[in-house]
Amino acid sequence: MFHLGCQMAWFKKQKRKLDLETDVVIIGSGGAGLMAAIAAHEAGARVTVVEKTDLIGGTTAVSGGVLWVPNNHHLAETSIEDSRQEALEYTRRLADNRSDEQLIAVFLDTAPKMLRFLEEQTDLEFSALERYPDYHPEFPGGKPGGRSLDPGLFDTNELGEWKAKLRRSPVFGATAMSVSEATDWGVFSNPLGLDFKLLGERYKKGLVCYGAALVGNLLKAVLARGIEPMVGAAARELLEDEGRVVGVRAERDDEELLLGASKGVVLASGGFEWNKQLIAQFLGGQLTHPNSPPGNTGDGLKMAMQVGADLGNMSEAWWCPSVMIPGEEYDGVQLNRGDFATRSLPHSVIVNRAGQRFVNEAQNYNDLMKPFFAFDPMRYERPNLPAWLIFDQNYMDKYALQTVVPGMPIPEWLPRADSLAELAEAMGIDAEGLRKTVERFNQLAEIGKDEDFQRGDSTYDHFYGDPKNQPNPNLGPICKAPFFALQVYPGAIGTKGGARTDEHARVLRSDGQVIDGLYAAGNVMAGVTGPGYPGAGSTIGTAMTFGFIAGRDAAGKSA
Amino acid sequence: MPEVEYSTEMALSPEVIWEFVKDMNNWAPMLTGYQEHEVIDDTDSIWTLKGDVGILSRQVKLKAHVTEWSGPERVTFTLTGLNEKVDGGGTLTMRSEAASETDEVAEPVKPRRPWFGRRFLNWMFRTMFRRIHGEGPKRLAAPTSAEVRSVLTYTLRMDAGGPTGPLVNAMLGPAMLPAAEALANKIAAHLEQTHLAPS
Repeated sequence: MFHLGCQMAWFKKQKRKLDLETDVVIIGSGGAGLMAAIAAHEAGARVTVVEKTDLIGGTTAVSGGVLWVPNNHHLAETSIEDSRQEALEYTRRLADNRSDEQLIAVFLDTAPKMLRFLEEQTDLEFSALERYPDYHPEFPGGKPGGRSLDPGLFDTNELGEWKAKLRRSPVFGATAMSVSEATDWGVFSNPLGLDFKLLGERYKKGLVCYGAALVGNLLKAVLARGIEPMVGAAARELLEDEGRVVGVRAERDDEELLLGASKGVVLASGGFEWNKQLIAQFLGGQLTHPNSPPGNTGDGLKMAMQVGADLGNMSEAWWCPSVMIPGEEYDGVQLNRGDFATRSLPHSVIVNRAGQRFVNEAQNYNDLMKPFFAFDPMRYERPNLPAWLIFDQNYMDKYALQTVVPGMPIPEWLPRADSLAELAEAMGIDAEGLRKTVERFNQLAEIGKDEDFQRGDSTYDHFYGDPKNQPNPNLGPICKAPFFALQVYPGAIGTKGGARTDEHARVLRSDGQVIDGLYAAGNVMAGVTGPGYPGAGSTIGTAMTFGFIAGRDAAGKSA
Repeated sequence: MPEVEYSTEMALSPEVIWEFVKDMNNWAPMLTGYQEHEVIDDTDSIWTLKGDVGILSRQVKLKAHVTEWSGPERVTFTLTGLNEKVDGGGTLTMRSEAASETDEVAEPVKPRRPWFGRRFLNWMFRTMFRRIHGEGPKRLAAPTSAEVRSVLTYTLRMDAGGPTGPLVNAMLGPAMLPAAEALANKIAAHLEQTHLAPS
């Protein structure tokens, strides 16, 4: 009642009428936001979810939908053992002293509880991906699999009239196969092994996978609790009363909405990767081709800054190399496809304009990007930008290239040449440098050992390689014309810098004091993993864990 | 192979419709996702369309080859994907409503009369079309008798080939009927605006 009193006082002072009165307003409908909604509702709060775009799901919906939860109960179904201590050691190393260690511990302690809660309160039944390794499985505490959890498939017909409001991935949205199936079927290394008839039937039936399956289940659970998200409603301002956040001013079409929140506001609005000004202001890398929905423009970050939030991890993103197929659009803008496999499969390398390799192409997508941003202080330039994937007809004969599988015509958007020299000239790459690089790479492929960049040394590299290609699933010569080049751009699944929080997901001021009534979770929050990406689903695993904490705490219960 | 058919009625004779349809330049821009088209000769042209395939939008280049110019009743064409493994074809059929009711044997496809809701939506579409584009230019032809009615039927079939064909066909299917409806309705709205609007 005290909080409601404050809230009413604000509106009285402003001489504004409340359009909606609720306990908890959640800004954003991705994994963090929907999790917060379910948690807050189950803790007894009245909940309102506002979503800026016309679709539900945010970044989560276009993702792989996997949750990274160390020490989870599904590990018991595998042969892999895990412990809190191992997970802590591993995650701390990847955080590189740039995250709040207490929050890492909170994440590791709460994530397994969140997972059980999720499976109790929704129809989600996860399975441990036993063969999906952590992204540095050889580091102390790293695991060869099992911490990443697959949400399986979801029948969109269960959403009734909300079916059309579920965001789908432009890349995974039509191929309804679970992550387990994609792994078993060899989606990248054996694309012709996929049962496209079955996938067509699943598409017709309305089945979805990955992030859409996760969000579909979450949305179903939210709707079942009588919470109908307000779509097309953009939160613009946090309403304060004597230092406490008491509501949100939102805009929908030409209408202004004042939403009162007696117990709290949860920022779960995603990152700022589509906001060029914020990128230039904060990010450490030259992010030009984000992979997320273009609605992620840092709205929540800006609102948090307006009320005095402290910020953390602002230079970091969940980096991912991007490639483009000209003319492909998603939400009205050029689609930037994340490249997860082309660079990991045999018969391909990444080179800079000097024609030189500069990275283990098969390593995880987050760490792969960091050498792209290397800076030459003498020339004041970045020698590894631009960069290109170079591959040959051997590759095209065996593997998938984004939308193309073997047997399909080579698309006209893909630059090609009958010789490496011609290809180099066409792309502006130093021809002699490329010749030497490919010659060296082919020698390494011959012996099956990348002595230069250790490609194929890690279990992680093998996950995206070709198991039939021995002795090294990631190495194969580039020797069969024609040769192809595909420019690789700096992309990101999302940024991960934002409002600093405490262990209850409450947003902090720069003096360490809590901003009453304000919470943050997901990519709008200062990421607990710092610059690191521990394993598949780290984004959603942390987002949903802190969404769970935020929702519970706002409703007055501890997680 | 996904195949759709859509019919719409117009208070115009088949001859009037044919005058418009026989020149591809008139109606190519009315195709859903139209980007550009290039006429090669009387029977061949290349269409560039941006279409929703599944969730995303993609640019597709198709070679259209007219196999039958049979005015004023029918134009039949084949489609061949130039940058995608897809083939197909279609027919635009124009018939007077009287003929469609009595001469069922002569025509391969009997146009379906759209259900009431669809007819209402068509009316709305055409009304909106006229509002957006104004009352149109002066009549280009003598007004047609109010009793004269024709049915324009558009059939379209597409078949994605290659190993991914079954999946692509599943995605194409839901997109094709709206595309067929849009083309037929745009032609109808344009012709009614041109020929039936008060001068």
